[in-house]
Amino acid sequence: MFFTKLNKIAVTALALTSLLSVGAQAQTLTGAGATFPAPLYQKWFQQYKAKTGDEINYQAIGSGGGIKAVTAKSVDFGASDAPMNDTELKNAPGIIHIPTVAGAVVVAYNIPGIGPGIHLTQDVIADIFLGKITKWDDARITKLSPGTKFPSTSIAPFHRSDGSGTTNIFTTFLSQVSGDWKDQVGAGKSVKWTKGLGGKGNPGVAALIKQTEGGIGYIELAYAVQNVIPYAAVRNSKGNFIYPSVASTTAAAEGATLASDFRTVITNTKAAQGYPITGFTFLLVYRDSKPELKKFLEWALTDGQSQADDLLYAKLPASVQKRALAAVATLK
Amino acid sequence: MVNNTTTVKPHRSNVTRRKIANRIMLTLCMLASVAAVTVLGLVLFFLISKGFSSINVKFFTQLPNHVDEKAGGMSQSIYGTLVLLGLASVIGLPLGILGGIYQLEAKGKFASAVRFFTDVLNGIPSIVIGIFVYAVWVAPIAKLHPGTGYSAFAGGFALGIMMIPTIMRTTEEILKLVPFSMREASLGLGATRWRTMWSVVLPSARGGVITGIMLALARIAGETAPLLFTILGNEFFVTHKVYGIKVPTLTAPIDALPLRIYNYATAVDPEQQRMAWAGAVVLITLILVLSIAARAATRGKVLEEK
Repeated sequence: MFFTKLNKIAVTALALTSLLSVGAQAQTLTGAGATFPAPLYQKWFQQYKAKTGDEINYQAIGSGGGIKAVTAKSVDFGASDAPMNDTELKNAPGIIHIPTVAGAVVVAYNIPGIGPGIHLTQDVIADIFLGKITKWDDARITKLSPGTKFPSTSIAPFHRSDGSGTTNIFTTFLSQVSGDWKDQVGAGKSVKWTKGLGGKGNPGVAALIKQTEGGIGYIELAYAVQNVIPYAAVRNSKGNFIYPSVASTTAAAEGATLASDFRTVITNTKAAQGYPITGFTFLLVYRDSKPELKKFLEWALTDGQSQADDLLYAKLPASVQKRALAAVATLK
Repeated sequence: MVNNTTTVKPHRSNVTRRKIANRIMLTLCMLASVAAVTVLGLVLFFLISKGFSSINVKFFTQLPNHVDEKAGGMSQSIYGTLVLLGLASVIGLPLGILGGIYQLEAKGKFASAVRFFTDVLNGIPSIVIGIFVYAVWVAPIAKLHPGTGYSAFAGGFALGIMMIPTIMRTTEEILKLVPFSMREASLGLGATRWRTMWSVVLPSARGGVITGIMLALARIAGETAPLLFTILGNEFFVTHKVYGIKVPTLTAPIDALPLRIYNYATAVDPEQQRMAWAGAVVLITLILVLSIAARAATRGKVLEEK
């Protein structure tokens, strides 16, 4: 009893002193959002702390959650792979988008006995996720990859259950290449899926694919590579089957023209060697952010860029980097 | 069935039938309890076999390390869970115990309404409490001070709310067990009502009250849902100095074991998954310790005296 009493007093004292000193901040910044660049960001923040001592707490809660949190101002910055739309921007006046890196969304699969690199065309991907193609040995799939013997396993398509920038990139691409998709499903951070199960975050979908024979889903390149999940080469608008890689992502990023506020989804590239399901990922910051955030952004856009390759993201093309730095310079 | 025959001739077969029925039901009851214990055993076995190998000194002393996961730990989550339990107690203990006393002492419509609403509160899903705290605390604070809102305080508030009904009911029930003659004796000696409650009734029931507190703590220690909307998570310790002493910054986001387990378990990085199992072992151990402490507290107290 004596111990409990002592304990209680200690806890109360602790709580009171903490409450009295509201405002004393040891942690520098808090951010939340996209899972797509999270592996890179986690490394960035760790190295940045080692270098400058500034602590940045980043929690990967999904692009949708990141936009909500930064709109509510419960975090210092948000992160999203989908640019905020006009309505969302209206609710969060003063937000600007800073692109950090580009990444590829791969179509990953788990077909017994089949390795990486099967060929898929735009319309076949659309029809798989629409539920029109249901078996792996469907003629439309097999004829694209001659020499590969497909089993008759059923196809189990997986998608994201949470509001996701990865979903935005994937569905924007499918809406660009398939009329049926545009009419029936459309593009966005969360859409009305006609088929398949949902998983939470890139990790959730990756886990579903890994655990399910016949599974297929879209995840970020780094997640597929890290977990050794095979993924497909996808035909681009020039008719070339392109295997996702840092090089083909870079080709797509360099071939893109970004709007002045960077809010552009760059899927379905016109670059001959560009991978078509590619997108920039953004940090969402307020114009009147803390000075530490500006300092971090400058580091991320310059020194931080060299980390991108290792984790399978594409660096910003030089022109975009220059514009992004100019945008950062306008922060207070 | 054909019961009227028994009065006519009480033959053996009826007794045998009853005995058999008794044996069968007893066996079923035993099997049911064995099944329950087996499930617990399997959970423990599974957790320990999957997670034990990842528990080492670093696990308790290091922060997450995303450059080399194996070199990292969950120290900030364990610390966060303890801070949150402390905060929740600050809110839940006084309200719960005083509320329990009120329900014991007060009569009338209002008291029974309070009791009813306490039971309702007990039944509210924890995720709803999380959303409630988000709406009344996190969002408004964020509006006032951009970049804040998610905080240890918000998490402790949510967990504290969840503690109240449990402590309230156990306190009331346990105080009821204190023999009425003890109060009469105290009151007869001229003690006031509150002196009687504070110096006679409460101390003799303290074992039971502590049990209630421990059970409430054990319950909230494993909660994830109310934390999702309130603490955000953190991969660092956030502290500041008050008169030269380091104290946790309760206005900053904080980590907690269940939340970190939830995040790591869904991650595909196999090393993070192993960390999640290890975190689960630590969490279960913490809850087990609280439950055992609850047992120890009651041993030889009120129930015996009764």
